[in-house]
Amino acid sequence: MLKKMSVRQAVGTRLAHDITEIRPGEFKGAAFKKGHMVCSEDICHLQKLGKNHLYMIDLEKDEIHENQAAQILAKGLSGIGIEWENNPKEGKITLHAAYDGILAINTANLAAFNMVDEVMCATLHNHTLVKKGDLVAATRAIPLVMQRAPIERAASTASHDNGTISVKPVKSFKTGLIITGNEVFSGLIEDRFEPVLSGKITDLGSEITSLEYVPDDSVMICKAIEKAIESGCKLILLTGGMSVDPDDVTRMGIARAGASEIHYGAAVLPGAMFLVAYIDDVPLLGVPGCGLHHRITALDLVLPRIMSGEHIGKKELAFLGHGGLCMDCMECTFPHCPFGKGA
Amino acid sequence: MDSGPIKIRLRAVNSKSLAGVIYKIMQNFETLLKSSALAHGHLCPGQVVGVRMAMLGCRLIGLDDPKSHGQIKKLIVFIEMDRCAGDAVAHVTGVKLGRRSLKFMDYGIMAATFVNLETHRAFRVISTEESRDLASLYASEIMDKSVRQISAYKRMPDSVLFRVQKVNVNLDKFDMPGPTQKKVTCIKCGQVVRDNREVIINDQPVCRPCTGKAYFYMPREVT
Repeated sequence: MLKKMSVRQAVGTRLAHDITEIRPGEFKGAAFKKGHMVCSEDICHLQKLGKNHLYMIDLEKDEIHENQAAQILAKGLSGIGIEWENNPKEGKITLHAAYDGILAINTANLAAFNMVDEVMCATLHNHTLVKKGDLVAATRAIPLVMQRAPIERAASTASHDNGTISVKPVKSFKTGLIITGNEVFSGLIEDRFEPVLSGKITDLGSEITSLEYVPDDSVMICKAIEKAIESGCKLILLTGGMSVDPDDVTRMGIARAGASEIHYGAAVLPGAMFLVAYIDDVPLLGVPGCGLHHRITALDLVLPRIMSGEHIGKKELAFLGHGGLCMDCMECTFPHCPFGKGA
Repeated sequence: MDSGPIKIRLRAVNSKSLAGVIYKIMQNFETLLKSSALAHGHLCPGQVVGVRMAMLGCRLIGLDDPKSHGQIKKLIVFIEMDRCAGDAVAHVTGVKLGRRSLKFMDYGIMAATFVNLETHRAFRVISTEESRDLASLYASEIMDKSVRQISAYKRMPDSVLFRVQKVNVNLDKFDMPGPTQKKVTCIKCGQVVRDNREVIINDQPVCRPCTGKAYFYMPREVT
C-alpha cells in the first residue's frame, strides 16, 4: 500500500520510485533513484520538479512493487531470441533482439496480456526484420504498487505457446531462380528480373545457386523445377507467366512438377498474382510482373517469413490484406510505412 | 459428521502455476466435450467453457477422475449459472442434484466452485468477460461467430479463459451428501420437510410454501 507524505515529512525515508526530471533538450532521466534517502537538501529540488508530496511504500503480503512486476512480465513475454536487462527503469523493461531475424508477435497473446488491468506491453509490428540489439518491445506495470495475482496471470498468459515475443532467425537458403517467358528465352528482350531478385535474396543472407531461363512451356518449366530441386535448392523463385493470359503457364508447370499445395493470389497490391506452392518442404514463389516495376511487393512481405521457416498458406496470404495496400509513394520508405504491417 | 460448518482456509492462488500443468489423467478433452455436447443436446461455446472449467476445477482440488467410485463422494460443485456451461460442468464432474453434490446458486455468473470434501480445498473458477472479446484473435480465420468461439475457447490458455480464486466454503451438515439428517412436519399443512429446510415461526416448523413465499401461488389440489 502507498502512504502519502509531504516532502518535509519524507526526510529520512527512502524513495519508493525514481523521480524523473526533464530539461528539454538537455536531460531526461531519474533526478532521484528509487531507494534514495531523502535529505533536507533535496526538498528544494523536489519542489522544483513539482513534488510537494511523496509516496512511502508499505507492501502488503500480496502486493508487489512495479519493478518486481516488470521483471515478472518481461520474463513471461519473452520467447526465443529476446533478451532484456533486469534493471527496470521507472517500472519499465525494454526487450531487445538477441540476434538478427524476423520478429514474431503472438498477437492473440499480446491482446490477452493487455486486457489484464494494470499491465501493458507495446511491440513493433509482427514480421518486422530486426537486427541484434534492436528494441522490439517494452512492458511495464502501470501502478507503483499492485496485487501480485493479476501480474502473474498476465505473465502466465504471455508465456503461453512459448512466449508472446520472439525473434526467429532468417536462415540461408540455396535458392533456384527460374525465369520464364518466350520473349526473354528467345532473346527478344533482356531479362531484368535476375538482378532484382538476386539482390533481394542476397540481402537476406541467401544465394542463388541455380538460374534457368525457360519458355512459356509447362513441361519445360516443370523440368527446370525438378532440376533445381535435384541440384539441392531449398527455395525456388519463378518469374513470368503468373497472369491470366493463355501463354501464362507457370502455374501449370508448378502443378506438373508435383506441388502438394498451390496458393495463387495474395491480398496485396502490388502482388495480387503472387503465388506460393510447395513440393515436399521446398517452397516455390511465383513472382508476378509487378516485381519489376515496384521496389516492394508481396514477395518482400513473404520472403523473410519463408526464410524463417514459416509455412505460408492461404490464411497467411489472405491476412496480408489488412495493410497490404502500397501507397506508391514518390519516394519509397519501406519498411518505415504501413505496407504489410497489418498481418 | 461434525455439525458445524466446514472451514476452508483462504489463500491467494498462484495463477502462474495453472497454465503449465498438463492434463494428465482425466479423460481427453475432446472426448469429454463430445459426450458433454451429446448429453446437453448441442455443441456450443458454453460447452467448451464448461468442460474446461470442470477440468481445471477438478485439477485444482486434486481430483483426476471425479466420476470414479473412489472420488465421486469427495466432490461438491457450486454452479452459479443455469446456462450451457453449467450442464458441461455437471457432466464432466458427475455431480448431481439428487446426490447433493451439485449446488445451484442462482447468481447469473459464469462461475463454479469446486470443493474437495476430503482436503477442504475449494477453488472458484470464473469465466472471463475478456475471453469473448479475444475470441476473434485466437481464431481469426473462422467467420461464423459460434464456430469461432468454440475454436478460440479451445485454444486459449486457462489464464485467459478463467480467473481462479481460492475460497472458503461453509458447508452445513444439512447440505452434505448422504442420508437425510432430519425430518420435521409442517404444523400448517402436514408436509414433511427434510434437512432443515423448514422455517421456524413461533417456535414451530413451517414449510416454505406455507410461509407465503413460494415460487408458485394459488395451489389447488387436483389429485
